[in-house]
Amino acid sequence: MNKHSSGLVEIRGLQKSFGTLQVLKGIDLSVGRKEVVCIIGKSGSGKSTLLRCINGLEVFQSGELLVDGVPVKSSDPNAMRALRQKVGMVFQSFNLFPAMSVGNNIMLAPKLVKNMSPGDAKLLAEKLLTRVGLTEKFDSFPHELSGGQQQRVAIARALAMNPEVILCDEITSALDPELVGEVLQVIEALAREGVTLIIVTHEMNFARKVCDRVVFMHQGLVHEVGTAEDIFTSPKTPELRNFISVNHGQRELV
Amino acid sequence: MKVLDFSDVITAWPLFISGFFMTCFLTLASCLLGTLLGTLCAWVRLQGPSLLKLIVAAYVELFRNTPFIIQIFFIFFGLASAGFKMGAIVASLVALTLNLGAYACEIVRAGIQATPKGQVEAAQSLALNRWQIFTRVMVAPGLARVWPALVSQLVIMMLATSVCSQISAEEISYSANFVAGKTFRSFESFMVVTACYLVIAIFFRKLLLWVGPRFIFGRMKF
Repeated sequence: MNKHSSGLVEIRGLQKSFGTLQVLKGIDLSVGRKEVVCIIGKSGSGKSTLLRCINGLEVFQSGELLVDGVPVKSSDPNAMRALRQKVGMVFQSFNLFPAMSVGNNIMLAPKLVKNMSPGDAKLLAEKLLTRVGLTEKFDSFPHELSGGQQQRVAIARALAMNPEVILCDEITSALDPELVGEVLQVIEALAREGVTLIIVTHEMNFARKVCDRVVFMHQGLVHEVGTAEDIFTSPKTPELRNFISVNHGQRELV
Repeated sequence: MKVLDFSDVITAWPLFISGFFMTCFLTLASCLLGTLLGTLCAWVRLQGPSLLKLIVAAYVELFRNTPFIIQIFFIFFGLASAGFKMGAIVASLVALTLNLGAYACEIVRAGIQATPKGQVEAAQSLALNRWQIFTRVMVAPGLARVWPALVSQLVIMMLATSVCSQISAEEISYSANFVAGKTFRSFESFMVVTACYLVIAIFFRKLLLWVGPRFIFGRMKF
């Protein structure tokens, strides 16, 4: 059987439990190159866990997960590092390194992992900071930045490794409402430039606007998949209809 | 004999000066080596191979639960009779470093253990290996977290260098003992040495609290 498939990220029958609690109950999902996929669903539906399986932060028990045709093997540290060079991640809580300047946060991995020269790494970091609109912040420290700025630095840090796909795990959930826009704009620009993105989000308007495909997860399974238009205007299952109406209501309240 | 006559003590000033520098040297060298040793031991206790973990645990318990003067006698006299002969200065450095290493190990370990999980995950997802994550991502913020506690321990170490006079390392307590014995001006010479320790301790503490954020862990905030 040919293990290589068309998708950049290929997930088949993925199952994952925390103890006796089964969180993922057999996920099938394929994400193509340059595709932007949003994962939506209630808390506890397994969205974040699925995302964290893709770069090996969570170990899954059964099923298959291939990135760029290579199966994810969490028992092999070298294979995991090779995988993680292809898969970038941006976290809900930014997770910048507090003892390093913004520039060093971005340059750390290119220097250590890709043996990039300090000069090249500096050029790269400056270029990426400009891309996320923070040219002036090279020498600032994380605690001197706003949440939105920190998250944009985190995006630049992920981009510095030139990954094939970037995973975004609720990257605006920890932000003040007025800072959400600046981060989403950066992600939107990446999507336009053809970066492959898998985004777990609660921002329904953003999902609708930016994503090629929306995945609705419910109780550890992919419940419904479709284009943003299909998912939001003509949901087929009652669970999705309910989810969308509840979230729509919240948005109205805000 | 007049009370508080400093003339004999002042005449012996070269002894106090050389003792002062020896105390500073022992302190700086053992603090540097001991902190390094402690950090390495912290790595072993957190991530090292299990046999090494056991050895380090035994070492830490041994040195934290026995008096320093016994440790230094063991190293200077005990090992000498077993064939490992060392000069007083080398033996002092070894004893101070080993003693500090054990305490620093536990302090640094506490700081590193408090690293938020997310920072390790961020480093992992950037493809750093375990050693890179420890040295580049965990150590500096870990030291920053426990810096005040570590500085206290380093100052205690500075004060403990006085014990080295017992194996004839010529630091400042040795000078004071020597002058007191020669001139019978104990009160005066110990007043001088007390003042010296006070000055060194206050200055050393201030220096460390200044050095840490500038050269060791950057200007970070918690």
